[in-house]
Amino acid sequence: MIDFLLEIGFEEFPPAFLEKSAEDLSTGVENLLKDKRIFYRSVRTIYTPRRMGVLILGMPRKQKSQVVEIQGPPKKVAFDSKGKPTEMLLGFMKANELKQAQLFIKKTRKGEYACGKKEIAGVNTEDILYTEVPKIIRSLEFPKTMVWNEGSDRFPRPVRWVVALLDRRPLRFEYAGVKADRYSMPNFHFSFKPIRLEKPREYINFLRHGGVVVDPNERRRIILKRIKEASAKMTGEPLYTDEMIDEINCITEYPEVVTGEFDNQYLGLPEEVLLTVLKNQGNLIWVKGTNKFICVFSAKKKAIQNVKKGYTQVIEAKLYDALFYFKNDLRQGLENMLEQTKGMMWLKDLGTLYDKAVRLQRFVELFRDESRLDMDVLRRAALLCKADLLSQMVREKDFTSLQGIIGGYYAKVSSTEKVAMAIKEHYRPNFVGDDLPQTKEGAVLSVADKIDNVMGAFLSGNRPSSSYDPLGIRRNGYAVVNLIDAYSFTVSLSHAVDEILKLHGEKYKDFDTGVISEFFIERVSRYLQDKGFRYDEINAVLANWDSDVTDARMRCQALKEFRGKPEFTKLVIGQKRVRNILKDVKEVTEVNEKLLKEPAEIKLYQEGRKTTHQLGIMMEQKSYTEVLKLLLAMRLFIDKFFDDVLVMCEDVKLRDNRLALVHFINNLFMQFVDFSQIVIEGEKQR
Amino acid sequence: MRRVHTFENIILELKQYWQQQDCLLFEPYNSEVGAGTFNPATFIRILDTKPWNVCYVEISKRPRDGRYAKNPHRVQQFYQLQVIMKPAPDDIQKIYLQSLEHLGLKLKEHEVKFVKGDWDAPTLGAWGLGWEVWLDGMEITQFTYFQQAGGIDLPVIPVEITYGLERIAMALQDVSSIFDLKWNNDLSWGDVYEQNELEFSKYNFEEADPGFLTSLFNEFEAEAQKLYDRGLVLPGYDYTIKCSHLFNVIEARGVISISERAQMIGRVRALANRAARLYLEQNAAQQKKDSEKT
Repeated sequence: MIDFLLEIGFEEFPPAFLEKSAEDLSTGVENLLKDKRIFYRSVRTIYTPRRMGVLILGMPRKQKSQVVEIQGPPKKVAFDSKGKPTEMLLGFMKANELKQAQLFIKKTRKGEYACGKKEIAGVNTEDILYTEVPKIIRSLEFPKTMVWNEGSDRFPRPVRWVVALLDRRPLRFEYAGVKADRYSMPNFHFSFKPIRLEKPREYINFLRHGGVVVDPNERRRIILKRIKEASAKMTGEPLYTDEMIDEINCITEYPEVVTGEFDNQYLGLPEEVLLTVLKNQGNLIWVKGTNKFICVFSAKKKAIQNVKKGYTQVIEAKLYDALFYFKNDLRQGLENMLEQTKGMMWLKDLGTLYDKAVRLQRFVELFRDESRLDMDVLRRAALLCKADLLSQMVREKDFTSLQGIIGGYYAKVSSTEKVAMAIKEHYRPNFVGDDLPQTKEGAVLSVADKIDNVMGAFLSGNRPSSSYDPLGIRRNGYAVVNLIDAYSFTVSLSHAVDEILKLHGEKYKDFDTGVISEFFIERVSRYLQDKGFRYDEINAVLANWDSDVTDARMRCQALKEFRGKPEFTKLVIGQKRVRNILKDVKEVTEVNEKLLKEPAEIKLYQEGRKTTHQLGIMMEQKSYTEVLKLLLAMRLFIDKFFDDVLVMCEDVKLRDNRLALVHFINNLFMQFVDFSQIVIEGEKQR
Repeated sequence: MRRVHTFENIILELKQYWQQQDCLLFEPYNSEVGAGTFNPATFIRILDTKPWNVCYVEISKRPRDGRYAKNPHRVQQFYQLQVIMKPAPDDIQKIYLQSLEHLGLKLKEHEVKFVKGDWDAPTLGAWGLGWEVWLDGMEITQFTYFQQAGGIDLPVIPVEITYGLERIAMALQDVSSIFDLKWNNDLSWGDVYEQNELEFSKYNFEEADPGFLTSLFNEFEAEAQKLYDRGLVLPGYDYTIKCSHLFNVIEARGVISISERAQMIGRVRALANRAARLYLEQNAAQQKKDSEKT
């Protein structure tokens, strides 16, 4: 049995995708072994900020041998009339290095064939790893890579060493300008001297002596244990998330912990500010309610005093700044900041931030009829919501992400708690999957602000192109859709867009909002996809959409549920027949009842009329399951009509009237969705 | 007795160290810059394929960061020690870490952390991948492998190491305010620069005339374009640097919006990109001439 160690050593890897990359590498090697029939006893994924790799114990020296069957010529031509092998069979045997004894006859569905069976000896594990491992490394994918030397291999950070040790032998392949060998590197706080490895089994312990805990799971356990020990004697709970621990794990080779304290006066800061400062400083962990923090560091224990002093100093300097801004801002007050927004341009040629606030204040009137919405709160919040952009706190780049939240704190001084809450929440959701505002006022304000941002981007020439979205309005548009649906706001998007455009003034009255409709249709489509609807269902619904988001979701839902049933195909094909015949027709007239001759067309028309009425009621009630039933019932008459009646007849009058009838029926379907967008499995795509 | 690391000694020792690494010892640029990267010894020299190793001190002016000498960690003007090595040596990280040891910082007694900090200078159309180097939590260096400058993919990757000299000195001297740093044995950093901080903070935040500065910006921009039109890369780039500084002052004054800001950055970037393209064009033309001669 032999062992294998692979370690790629690099300068500090971006923590955000270290774990995934290391897992990809180790999965790649495991799959190789499985694929090549090399069994192993255990496998361990390794990563630290400066290395990733895999340690495999207990492999055979050789790949397992394999018995293969090779099919040769049909029996008929393989042997001559005397039963002797023909030239053809001999050729087959020679090509596959087969002996007479290895031949046999196999019955297949196509008849009898001469076949060969032989055992292929396993290839050396060493040879396989030597050729395949570099390929696996080269096939890794990363979100961002770089170049650092003349080599053609790209990696997220410069690769500086590679260990590839198979038992006692290094596999000297080359990657990224580095020749693989048996030398690893220690934690540089411990030494710069390479660590020579005789065999893979020494790796974990030798590296530990070099100040590196190579196994991420072990490291994580140590981190959590140390945090627990450090906080055991404290009154508060350490406040951390799994993500924070993961990130700490990805920037730490050798976890040590130290506790620090900051001056009590900083507890007067908003918690969000405190947490932002601590998190930005290498994920320091706050002990909630106290002036203490826990710092996980990655050096020798001897460094503890310097680390404590250093981090405390940096934290205090940042908190000093923050408190300075906070106090100044409170002294100044949000109303004064609002005054200052009159001098702050928003977007090019689109007025000041103050103009924007006033516009939002007017715009939210559109939501007046929503139930349980406190309009006074909303109006006040709308006017004040951008004022904190002029605060010293938000203008500081460390705290810009707290815009809104900071405004909420400042609003409490002179407005109600509800106003403060709406301001605090109005940026949410900041990203897909972020929490939505909890109050209806916050949600409306968020929608209003974001629709205005979208409009602003288009009016100021910052519309998104395929890869470029300078003002991030795709995210804004998505959030608008998400909020309208989540809160079931009855507002129509196109109406809202028209209103906000009006509020931008005379100057833009001729702006064509068609591009914005398209923009929103794309956002709705993306949103519905994320909700689990299929693209053809979404296309069917959005083909004829009146810009009501919630309704679009409901129609998709009805379609999706109906899709599981056997009648679904019938229904779709029903409309497709109708659609197909109308494809090249440009103009249609009204149906003239007197011109209906055949029983099938008379029947179709009568049923259509009946359905129109009932459909109207059901559409009104949004009973979309009923709508689907009604439309399905039409199928029978449609089929009968197409079977019995020739639409494209020679009599022009009759023909036009029949086309009008088909058009009328088509409209029934189109009122709900455009079924012809639905892709039925097995159907040829047009 | 432990040697006192005066500010000036730290500079001397670092320069010595990099001289031993075969870096040419250069001097600061003669007009206001936000970072050593603006110095043509970096921005222009990294564009071509010729080896270039250089070390110099740069005065970094960041008008926005002034705090009227009130904040112990923030000032609107400080010193950087800039190192460029092109191509980047394979063991550059070790060379850098040993420069800290050369200053007397024992790695066994501190934590040095390379914290991901992808760097980009939007006004220079330059970006790179690398880290902020933290000494016990304090950022003391930017360590970057340039990938692009002036909007051009670099043919040979240089490493840029930018030490924040005051930060390192604070750690070495164990003081918690920049103003308390010993410059030499008699004078502190504050003795040398406090008045300067006060006056420039007042200028940057209160007295700078945005209208005047904007008109200068426009004229300097036109001048740079004119010089480029005439094939004068370095004078054109000189005016580009001036535009960049004017922009920094206008921004500090707090009178431009986010979109105006983005626009001005775009204008400076266009100038810098033009310098880079022109430099490379002229280089290529020269090479062609040289090869025709031989």
